[in-house]
Amino acid sequence: MSLEPATVAPLLAEFPFEWNYIRSIVRVSLYVSITAVALSTAFSLPVALLVGFREFPGKTLLASIINTGMGFPSVVVGLVVLFTVSNEGPLGSWDLVFTPEAMILSQFVLAAPVITGVSLAAVSSVEQNVRDAAYAMGGTRFDVALVTIKEARYGIATAVLAGFGRAISEVGSVLIVGGNIANADGTSVTRTLTTAIQLEARQGRFRTAMILGAILVALVLLVNALVVRLGNGGGGRYG
Amino acid sequence: MTLDTIDVHHGYGTETVFDGVSLSVRRGEVLAIIGPSGVGKSTLLRLLALFDAPDQGTVRYGGEPVWQIPEWQRLEYRRRIGMVFQEASLFDASVRRNAEYGLRVRQSWPDRIRHELATLVGRTNGTGDAIDALDTVGLREKADQDASSLSGGEAQRVAFARALAYEPDVLLLDEPTSDLDPRNTAVIEDAVLEAKNRGIGVGIATHDMHQAERIADRVAVLLENDVIEIGSPETVFENPADERTRKFIDGELVY
Repeated sequence: MSLEPATVAPLLAEFPFEWNYIRSIVRVSLYVSITAVALSTAFSLPVALLVGFREFPGKTLLASIINTGMGFPSVVVGLVVLFTVSNEGPLGSWDLVFTPEAMILSQFVLAAPVITGVSLAAVSSVEQNVRDAAYAMGGTRFDVALVTIKEARYGIATAVLAGFGRAISEVGSVLIVGGNIANADGTSVTRTLTTAIQLEARQGRFRTAMILGAILVALVLLVNALVVRLGNGGGGRYG
Repeated sequence: MTLDTIDVHHGYGTETVFDGVSLSVRRGEVLAIIGPSGVGKSTLLRLLALFDAPDQGTVRYGGEPVWQIPEWQRLEYRRRIGMVFQEASLFDASVRRNAEYGLRVRQSWPDRIRHELATLVGRTNGTGDAIDALDTVGLREKADQDASSLSGGEAQRVAFARALAYEPDVLLLDEPTSDLDPRNTAVIEDAVLEAKNRGIGVGIATHDMHQAERIADRVAVLLENDVIEIGSPETVFENPADERTRKFIDGELVY
Protein backbone atom coordinates (compact mmCIF):
# COMPACT_ATOMS: atom_id res chain seq x y z
CA MET A 1 0.00 0.00 0.00
CA SER A 2 1.28 3.42 -0.95
CA LEU A 3 1.70 6.02 1.79
CA GLU A 4 1.57 9.09 -0.43
CA PRO A 5 -0.28 12.01 1.26
CA ALA A 6 -3.00 11.77 -1.38
CA THR A 7 -3.72 8.18 -0.31
CA VAL A 8 -3.42 8.76 3.42
CA ALA A 9 -5.62 11.89 3.66
CA PRO A 10 -8.95 10.30 2.56
CA LEU A 11 -8.08 7.31 4.72
CA LEU A 12 -7.97 9.58 7.76
CA ALA A 13 -11.19 11.30 6.81
CA GLU A 14 -12.98 7.95 6.46
CA PHE A 15 -12.07 6.79 9.94
CA PRO A 16 -12.92 9.43 12.54
CA PHE A 17 -12.86 6.81 15.31
CA GLU A 18 -9.37 5.74 14.27
CA TRP A 19 -8.27 9.35 14.04
CA ASN A 20 -9.15 10.01 17.73
CA TYR A 21 -7.49 6.75 18.62
CA ILE A 22 -4.34 7.63 16.68
CA ARG A 23 -4.23 11.15 18.10
CA SER A 24 -4.37 9.86 21.67
CA ILE A 25 -1.61 7.34 20.94
CA VAL A 26 0.65 10.04 19.49
CA ARG A 27 -0.07 12.21 22.54
CA VAL A 28 0.85 9.42 24.99
CA SER A 29 3.96 8.54 22.99
CA LEU A 30 5.20 12.12 22.88
CA TYR A 31 4.33 12.77 26.55
CA VAL A 32 6.23 9.67 27.71
CA SER A 33 9.26 10.08 25.44
CA ILE A 34 9.69 13.86 25.77
CA THR A 35 9.36 13.70 29.58
CA ALA A 36 11.78 10.78 29.79
CA VAL A 37 14.30 12.54 27.55
CA ALA A 38 13.99 15.82 29.50
CA LEU A 39 14.64 13.98 32.78
CA SER A 40 17.47 11.96 31.23
CA THR A 41 19.12 15.15 29.93
CA ALA A 42 18.89 16.84 33.33
CA PHE A 43 20.53 13.76 34.84
CA SER A 44 23.04 13.02 32.08
CA LEU A 45 24.67 16.42 31.52
CA PRO A 46 26.11 16.80 35.05
CA VAL A 47 27.24 13.15 34.94
CA ALA A 48 28.97 13.72 31.56
CA LEU A 49 30.72 16.84 32.91
CA LEU A 50 31.77 14.99 36.05
CA VAL A 51 33.13 11.97 34.19
CA GLY A 52 34.71 14.20 31.55
CA PHE A 53 36.63 16.54 33.82
CA ARG A 54 36.94 15.15 37.34
CA GLU A 55 39.16 12.39 38.62
CA PHE A 56 37.53 10.08 41.17
CA PRO A 57 37.73 6.41 42.17
CA GLY A 58 35.56 4.20 40.00
CA LYS A 59 35.55 6.62 37.05
CA THR A 60 36.60 3.94 34.54
CA LEU A 61 33.94 1.59 35.89
CA LEU A 62 31.29 4.30 35.56
CA ALA A 63 32.36 5.01 31.97
CA SER A 64 32.08 1.28 31.19
CA ILE A 65 28.60 1.15 32.72
CA ILE A 66 27.53 4.10 30.57
CA ASN A 67 28.86 2.43 27.42
CA THR A 68 27.20 -0.89 28.30
CA GLY A 69 23.94 0.94 29.06
CA MET A 70 23.88 2.39 25.52
CA GLY A 71 23.23 -1.08 24.15
CA PHE A 72 21.15 -2.49 26.98
CA PRO A 73 18.23 -4.74 25.82
CA SER A 74 15.01 -2.83 26.37
CA VAL A 75 12.97 -5.89 27.42
CA VAL A 76 15.38 -6.49 30.30
CA VAL A 77 15.07 -2.84 31.34
CA GLY A 78 11.28 -3.24 31.18
CA LEU A 79 11.46 -6.36 33.31
CA VAL A 80 13.59 -4.68 35.98
CA VAL A 81 11.43 -1.53 36.02
CA LEU A 82 8.25 -3.65 36.23
CA PHE A 83 9.68 -5.49 39.21
CA THR A 84 10.75 -2.16 40.79
CA VAL A 85 7.24 -0.66 40.56
CA SER A 86 5.38 -3.91 41.32
CA ASN A 87 3.97 -4.63 44.79
CA GLU A 88 7.10 -6.61 45.63
CA GLY A 89 9.49 -3.91 44.39
CA PRO A 90 10.97 -0.89 46.21
CA LEU A 91 8.55 1.55 44.49
CA GLY A 92 5.52 -0.71 45.00
CA SER A 93 3.72 1.81 47.23
CA TRP A 94 3.74 4.39 44.41
CA ASP A 95 1.19 2.32 42.44
CA LEU A 96 2.88 2.84 39.09
CA VAL A 97 2.25 -0.46 37.35
CA PHE A 98 0.73 0.05 33.86
CA THR A 99 0.92 3.86 34.04
CA PRO A 100 2.58 6.33 31.68
CA GLU A 101 4.86 7.28 34.60
CA ALA A 102 6.25 3.73 34.77
CA MET A 103 6.91 3.98 31.04
CA ILE A 104 8.73 7.28 31.61
CA LEU A 105 10.88 5.50 34.19
CA SER A 106 11.81 2.71 31.79
CA GLN A 107 12.54 5.11 28.92
CA PHE A 108 14.61 7.21 31.30
CA VAL A 109 16.75 4.15 32.02
CA LEU A 110 17.10 3.48 28.29
CA ALA A 111 17.77 7.06 27.15
CA ALA A 112 20.08 8.22 29.97
CA PRO A 113 23.12 6.10 28.95
CA VAL A 114 22.76 7.20 25.31
CA ILE A 115 22.52 10.89 26.25
CA THR A 116 25.33 10.59 28.80
CA GLY A 117 27.62 8.68 26.43
CA VAL A 118 27.19 11.00 23.44
CA SER A 119 27.34 14.14 25.67
CA LEU A 120 30.50 12.81 27.30
CA ALA A 121 32.18 12.57 23.90
CA ALA A 122 30.98 16.10 23.08
CA VAL A 123 32.11 17.80 26.31
CA SER A 124 35.42 15.91 26.30
CA SER A 125 36.21 17.47 22.93
CA VAL A 126 36.02 21.01 24.37
CA GLU A 127 39.61 22.22 24.58
CA GLN A 128 41.13 22.68 28.00
CA ASN A 129 42.47 26.11 27.05
CA VAL A 130 38.94 27.38 26.36
CA ARG A 131 37.89 26.14 29.81
CA ASP A 132 40.99 27.77 31.30
CA ALA A 133 40.07 31.04 29.59
CA ALA A 134 36.62 31.00 31.23
CA TYR A 135 38.21 30.36 34.62
CA ALA A 136 40.86 33.04 34.06
CA MET A 137 38.20 35.64 33.24
CA GLY A 138 36.80 35.17 36.73
CA GLY A 139 34.38 32.32 36.03
CA THR A 140 33.41 29.95 38.83
CA ARG A 141 33.45 26.18 38.33
CA PHE A 142 29.76 26.48 37.43
CA ASP A 143 30.58 29.15 34.81
CA VAL A 144 33.25 26.87 33.35
CA ALA A 145 30.66 24.05 33.16
CA LEU A 146 28.23 26.41 31.37
CA VAL A 147 30.91 27.44 28.87
CA THR A 148 31.70 23.76 28.26
CA ILE A 149 28.02 23.01 27.59
CA LYS A 150 27.76 25.99 25.25
CA GLU A 151 30.88 25.00 23.34
CA ALA A 152 29.59 21.40 23.06
CA ARG A 153 26.02 22.45 22.27
CA TYR A 154 25.79 20.76 18.87
CA GLY A 155 27.10 17.47 20.24
CA ILE A 156 24.77 17.68 23.24
CA ALA A 157 21.79 18.41 21.00
CA THR A 158 22.76 15.35 18.96
CA ALA A 159 22.86 13.34 22.20
CA VAL A 160 19.38 14.50 23.21
CA LEU A 161 17.95 13.68 19.79
CA ALA A 162 19.63 10.27 19.79
CA GLY A 163 18.09 9.62 23.23
CA PHE A 164 14.70 10.67 21.89
CA GLY A 165 15.11 8.33 18.91
CA ARG A 166 15.92 5.46 21.24
CA ALA A 167 12.95 6.25 23.50
CA ILE A 168 10.20 6.82 20.94
CA SER A 169 11.00 3.80 18.77
CA GLU A 170 11.41 1.36 21.64
CA VAL A 171 8.74 -1.33 22.15
CA GLY A 172 9.91 -4.00 24.60
CA SER A 173 10.01 -2.11 27.88
CA VAL A 174 6.91 0.08 27.38
CA LEU A 175 4.92 -3.04 26.50
CA ILE A 176 6.00 -4.73 29.74
CA VAL A 177 5.62 -1.80 32.16
CA GLY A 178 2.76 0.03 30.37
CA GLY A 179 0.63 -2.93 29.38
CA ASN A 180 -0.52 -1.35 26.07
CA ILE A 181 -3.85 -0.23 27.61
CA ALA A 182 -6.61 1.77 25.91
CA ASN A 183 -9.91 3.04 27.37
CA ALA A 184 -13.27 1.64 26.31
CA ASP A 185 -13.82 4.71 24.09
CA GLY A 186 -10.68 3.75 22.20
CA THR A 187 -8.33 6.42 23.56
CA SER A 188 -4.90 5.46 24.74
CA VAL A 189 -3.86 5.19 28.39
CA THR A 190 -0.49 3.51 28.00
CA ARG A 191 -0.61 2.62 24.35
CA THR A 192 2.24 4.12 22.36
CA LEU A 193 2.97 4.21 18.63
CA THR A 194 5.17 1.13 18.87
CA THR A 195 2.94 -1.01 21.08
CA ALA A 196 -0.15 0.00 19.05
CA ILE A 197 1.56 -1.02 15.79
CA GLN A 198 2.38 -4.38 17.32
CA LEU A 199 -1.24 -4.88 18.44
CA GLU A 200 -2.89 -3.60 15.24
CA ALA A 201 -0.65 -5.74 13.06
CA ARG A 202 -1.39 -8.84 15.10
CA GLN A 203 -5.14 -8.19 14.78
CA GLY A 204 -4.88 -7.70 11.04
CA ARG A 205 -5.83 -3.98 11.02
CA PHE A 206 -3.08 -3.09 8.63
CA ARG A 207 -4.37 0.32 7.60
CA THR A 208 -4.27 1.65 11.15
CA ALA A 209 -0.94 -0.04 11.77
CA MET A 210 0.46 1.51 8.58
CA ILE A 211 -0.70 5.02 9.53
CA LEU A 212 0.85 4.64 12.98
CA GLY A 213 4.00 3.28 11.37
CA ALA A 214 4.16 6.24 8.98
CA ILE A 215 3.82 8.69 11.87
CA LEU A 216 6.57 6.92 13.83
CA VAL A 217 8.89 6.79 10.82
CA ALA A 218 8.19 10.49 10.12
CA LEU A 219 9.10 11.37 13.73
CA VAL A 220 12.28 9.30 13.64
CA LEU A 221 13.23 10.69 10.22
CA LEU A 222 12.70 14.22 11.51
CA VAL A 223 14.93 13.50 14.50
CA ASN A 224 17.61 11.91 12.32
CA ALA A 225 17.53 14.83 9.89
CA LEU A 226 18.15 17.15 12.84
CA VAL A 227 21.01 14.93 14.05
CA VAL A 228 22.66 15.02 10.61
CA ARG A 229 22.22 18.79 10.41
CA LEU A 230 23.73 19.30 13.86
CA GLY A 231 26.53 16.87 13.04
CA ASN A 232 27.46 19.12 10.13
CA GLY A 233 28.14 22.02 12.47
CA GLY A 234 24.71 23.28 13.28
CA GLY A 235 22.25 25.64 11.76
CA GLY A 236 23.92 28.98 12.36
CA ARG A 237 25.81 30.20 15.34
CA TYR A 238 24.41 32.32 18.08
CA GLY A 239 25.24 36.01 18.20
CA MET B 1 48.43 46.63 45.31
CA THR B 2 51.02 43.97 44.57
CA LEU B 3 50.66 40.38 43.47
CA ASP B 4 53.59 38.33 44.68
CA THR B 5 55.00 34.89 45.24
CA ILE B 6 57.20 34.35 48.27
CA ASP B 7 59.65 31.45 48.36
CA VAL B 8 57.42 29.28 46.17
CA HIS B 9 58.35 25.64 45.64
CA HIS B 10 56.35 23.79 43.03
CA GLY B 11 56.56 20.76 40.80
CA TYR B 12 54.77 18.01 38.93
CA GLY B 13 55.19 14.55 40.43
CA THR B 14 58.87 14.14 41.20
CA GLU B 15 59.94 16.93 38.85
CA THR B 16 60.83 20.24 40.53
CA VAL B 17 59.82 23.34 38.58
CA PHE B 18 60.41 26.04 41.20
CA ASP B 19 62.78 25.91 44.09
CA GLY B 20 62.04 29.03 46.09
CA VAL B 21 60.76 31.61 43.58
CA SER B 22 59.97 35.09 44.88
CA LEU B 23 58.82 37.92 42.65
CA SER B 24 56.11 40.57 42.48
CA VAL B 25 53.91 42.22 39.88
CA ARG B 26 53.17 45.82 40.88
CA ARG B 27 50.47 48.19 39.69
CA GLY B 28 51.42 50.47 36.83
CA GLU B 29 54.48 48.54 35.71
CA VAL B 30 55.34 45.85 33.18
CA LEU B 31 57.31 42.88 34.49
CA ALA B 32 58.75 40.66 31.76
CA ILE B 33 59.57 37.07 32.69
CA ILE B 34 62.17 35.65 30.34
CA GLY B 35 63.74 32.23 30.20
CA PRO B 36 64.18 29.26 27.89
CA SER B 37 61.30 27.01 26.81
CA GLY B 38 60.12 24.57 29.43
CA VAL B 39 61.62 26.51 32.33
CA GLY B 40 58.17 27.07 33.86
CA LYS B 41 57.12 30.54 32.71
CA SER B 42 53.53 29.37 32.08
CA THR B 43 53.47 27.51 35.40
CA LEU B 44 54.58 30.68 37.18
CA LEU B 45 51.82 32.69 35.49
CA ARG B 46 49.25 30.06 36.47
CA LEU B 47 50.38 30.37 40.09
CA LEU B 48 50.13 34.17 39.86
CA ALA B 49 46.66 33.88 38.26
CA LEU B 50 45.58 31.77 41.26
CA PHE B 51 44.83 28.74 39.06
CA ASP B 52 46.94 26.40 41.15
CA ALA B 53 48.17 26.48 44.73
CA PRO B 54 51.95 26.21 45.13
CA ASP B 55 53.27 23.04 46.79
CA GLN B 56 55.08 25.26 49.32
CA GLY B 57 55.41 28.99 49.84
CA THR B 58 52.94 31.84 49.65
CA VAL B 59 51.09 33.68 46.93
CA ARG B 60 49.83 37.06 48.14
CA TYR B 61 47.47 39.59 46.63
CA GLY B 62 47.80 43.01 48.26
CA GLY B 63 49.44 41.29 51.22
CA GLU B 64 46.64 38.70 51.62
CA PRO B 65 47.82 35.07 51.47
CA VAL B 66 45.18 33.93 48.98
CA TRP B 67 45.50 30.18 49.52
CA GLN B 68 44.70 30.53 53.20
CA ILE B 69 41.21 31.91 52.60
CA PRO B 70 38.06 30.10 51.39
CA GLU B 71 37.48 29.65 47.66
CA TRP B 72 34.57 32.12 47.52
CA GLN B 73 36.81 34.85 48.97
CA ARG B 74 39.65 33.91 46.65
CA LEU B 75 37.24 34.38 43.72
CA GLU B 76 37.17 38.12 44.52
CA TYR B 77 40.97 38.25 44.11
CA ARG B 78 40.89 36.08 40.98
CA ARG B 79 38.43 38.53 39.49
CA ARG B 80 40.95 41.36 39.79
CA ILE B 81 43.34 39.45 37.53
CA GLY B 82 43.14 39.09 33.75
CA MET B 83 45.02 36.51 31.72
CA VAL B 84 45.84 36.02 28.05
CA PHE B 85 47.25 32.71 26.86
CA GLN B 86 49.58 31.86 24.01
CA GLU B 87 46.57 30.63 22.05
CA ALA B 88 43.60 33.00 21.81
CA SER B 89 41.17 30.33 23.12
CA LEU B 90 38.10 32.31 22.11
CA PHE B 91 34.61 31.01 22.73
CA ASP B 92 32.49 29.84 19.80
CA ALA B 93 30.43 33.04 19.76
CA SER B 94 30.58 36.58 18.40
CA VAL B 95 33.52 38.89 19.10
CA ARG B 96 31.26 41.03 21.28
CA ARG B 97 30.11 38.05 23.39
CA ASN B 98 33.74 37.06 23.87
CA ALA B 99 34.76 40.54 24.97
CA GLU B 100 31.83 40.74 27.39
CA TYR B 101 32.46 37.38 29.06
CA GLY B 102 34.34 38.67 32.09
CA LEU B 103 31.70 41.34 32.68
CA ARG B 104 28.90 38.79 32.35
CA VAL B 105 30.23 36.42 35.00
CA ARG B 106 30.49 39.38 37.39
CA GLN B 107 26.81 40.24 37.01
CA SER B 108 24.11 39.03 39.39
CA TRP B 109 22.15 36.02 38.13
CA PRO B 110 18.93 37.99 37.41
CA ASP B 111 20.98 40.48 35.34
CA ARG B 112 22.77 37.66 33.55
CA ILE B 113 19.53 35.91 32.65
CA ARG B 114 18.04 39.21 31.45
CA HIS B 115 21.16 39.80 29.36
CA GLU B 116 21.02 36.29 27.85
CA LEU B 117 17.34 36.72 26.95
CA ALA B 118 18.04 40.10 25.38
CA THR B 119 20.83 38.50 23.32
CA LEU B 120 18.52 35.68 22.21
CA VAL B 121 16.03 38.15 20.74
CA GLY B 122 18.86 40.26 19.33
CA ARG B 123 18.27 43.24 21.55
CA THR B 124 21.68 43.98 22.94
CA ASN B 125 24.24 46.57 22.01
CA GLY B 126 26.90 45.14 24.25
CA THR B 127 28.38 46.63 27.34
CA GLY B 128 30.28 49.87 26.87
CA ASP B 129 33.41 48.57 28.59
CA ALA B 130 33.65 45.59 26.25
CA ILE B 131 33.32 47.83 23.19
CA ASP B 132 35.94 50.22 24.64
CA ALA B 133 38.30 47.27 25.16
CA LEU B 134 37.76 46.17 21.55
CA ASP B 135 38.53 49.76 20.55
CA THR B 136 41.86 49.54 22.39
CA VAL B 137 42.92 46.67 20.10
CA GLY B 138 41.36 48.27 17.00
CA LEU B 139 38.59 45.71 16.52
CA ARG B 140 35.47 47.65 17.43
CA GLU B 141 34.08 47.32 13.92
CA LYS B 142 34.33 43.51 14.10
CA ALA B 143 32.20 43.23 17.28
CA ASP B 144 29.33 41.46 15.53
CA GLN B 145 31.45 39.01 13.58
CA ASP B 146 31.81 35.42 14.57
CA ALA B 147 35.04 34.89 16.54
CA SER B 148 35.93 31.91 14.36
CA SER B 149 36.06 34.18 11.30
CA LEU B 150 39.00 36.19 12.69
CA SER B 151 42.64 35.74 11.72
CA GLY B 152 45.05 34.41 14.37
CA GLY B 153 46.33 37.90 15.12
CA GLU B 154 42.85 39.39 15.42
CA ALA B 155 41.75 36.50 17.65
CA GLN B 156 44.64 37.17 20.00
CA ARG B 157 43.75 40.87 20.08
CA VAL B 158 40.17 39.92 21.04
CA ALA B 159 41.57 37.66 23.79
CA PHE B 160 43.48 40.69 25.05
CA ALA B 161 40.36 42.87 24.92
CA ARG B 162 38.41 40.15 26.73
CA ALA B 163 40.88 40.30 29.63
CA LEU B 164 40.96 44.10 29.62
CA ALA B 165 37.19 44.69 29.45
CA TYR B 166 36.57 44.17 33.16
CA GLU B 167 39.42 46.51 34.18
CA PRO B 168 41.62 44.08 36.12
CA ASP B 169 44.32 45.35 38.49
CA VAL B 170 46.77 42.81 37.11
CA LEU B 171 47.10 41.44 33.59
CA LEU B 172 49.11 38.26 33.01
CA LEU B 173 50.19 37.48 29.45
CA ASP B 174 51.64 34.11 28.50
CA GLU B 175 53.72 34.64 25.36
CA PRO B 176 50.81 36.53 23.80
CA THR B 177 52.63 37.51 20.62
CA SER B 178 54.75 34.41 19.91
CA ASP B 179 52.54 33.37 16.96
CA LEU B 180 51.81 36.88 15.66
CA ASP B 181 53.09 38.98 12.77
CA PRO B 182 54.85 42.30 13.53
CA ARG B 183 51.75 44.43 13.02
CA ASN B 184 49.56 42.46 15.43
CA THR B 185 52.49 42.28 17.86
CA ALA B 186 52.75 46.09 17.74
CA VAL B 187 49.00 46.45 18.45
CA ILE B 188 49.29 44.16 21.50
CA GLU B 189 52.41 45.94 22.77
CA ASP B 190 50.73 49.34 22.45
CA ALA B 191 47.72 47.97 24.33
CA VAL B 192 50.03 46.63 27.07
CA LEU B 193 51.59 50.07 27.49
CA GLU B 194 48.16 51.70 27.55
CA ALA B 195 47.04 49.24 30.24
CA LYS B 196 50.15 50.06 32.26
CA ASN B 197 49.47 53.81 31.93
CA ARG B 198 45.99 53.16 33.33
CA GLY B 199 47.63 51.71 36.43
CA ILE B 200 47.30 48.03 35.59
CA GLY B 201 50.20 45.80 36.65
CA VAL B 202 51.32 43.61 33.73
CA GLY B 203 53.27 40.35 33.99
CA ILE B 204 54.35 39.04 30.59
CA ALA B 205 56.17 35.80 29.87
CA THR B 206 58.11 36.15 26.64
CA HIS B 207 60.77 34.52 24.51
CA ASP B 208 61.39 37.76 22.76
CA MET B 209 64.20 39.73 24.43
CA HIS B 210 63.58 42.73 22.18
CA GLN B 211 59.97 42.79 23.27
CA ALA B 212 61.08 42.73 26.91
CA GLU B 213 63.44 45.64 26.18
CA ARG B 214 60.68 47.58 24.41
CA ILE B 215 57.91 47.34 26.98
CA ALA B 216 59.22 46.11 30.34
CA ASP B 217 60.03 48.22 33.39
CA ARG B 218 61.63 45.23 35.07
CA VAL B 219 62.87 41.92 33.71
CA ALA B 220 62.94 38.68 35.70
CA VAL B 221 65.19 35.89 34.44
CA LEU B 222 63.84 32.41 35.17
CA LEU B 223 66.53 29.75 35.00
CA GLU B 224 67.31 26.52 36.81
CA ASN B 225 64.09 26.44 38.88
CA ASP B 226 64.49 29.96 40.21
CA VAL B 227 64.37 33.64 39.34
CA ILE B 228 68.11 34.24 39.18
CA GLU B 229 67.95 37.95 38.49
CA ILE B 230 65.45 40.82 38.48
CA GLY B 231 66.29 44.30 37.32
CA SER B 232 65.73 47.05 34.79
CA PRO B 233 66.03 45.99 31.13
CA GLU B 234 69.25 48.03 30.83
CA THR B 235 70.86 46.19 33.75
CA VAL B 236 69.65 42.70 32.83
CA PHE B 237 70.45 42.93 29.13
CA GLU B 238 73.62 45.03 29.22
CA ASN B 239 75.17 44.51 32.60
CA PRO B 240 73.71 41.39 34.24
CA ALA B 241 74.77 40.56 37.77
CA ASP B 242 74.53 36.81 37.22
CA GLU B 243 76.87 35.15 34.75
CA ARG B 244 74.12 32.68 33.74
CA THR B 245 71.94 35.61 32.65
CA ARG B 246 74.68 36.88 30.35
CA LYS B 247 75.17 33.42 28.89
CA PHE B 248 71.42 32.96 28.36
CA ILE B 249 71.07 36.34 26.66
CA ASP B 250 74.11 35.72 24.48
CA GLY B 251 72.69 32.35 23.47
CA GLU B 252 75.51 30.40 25.06
CA LEU B 253 73.24 28.39 27.32
CA VAL B 254 71.54 25.52 25.53
CA TYR B 255 68.53 23.84 27.15
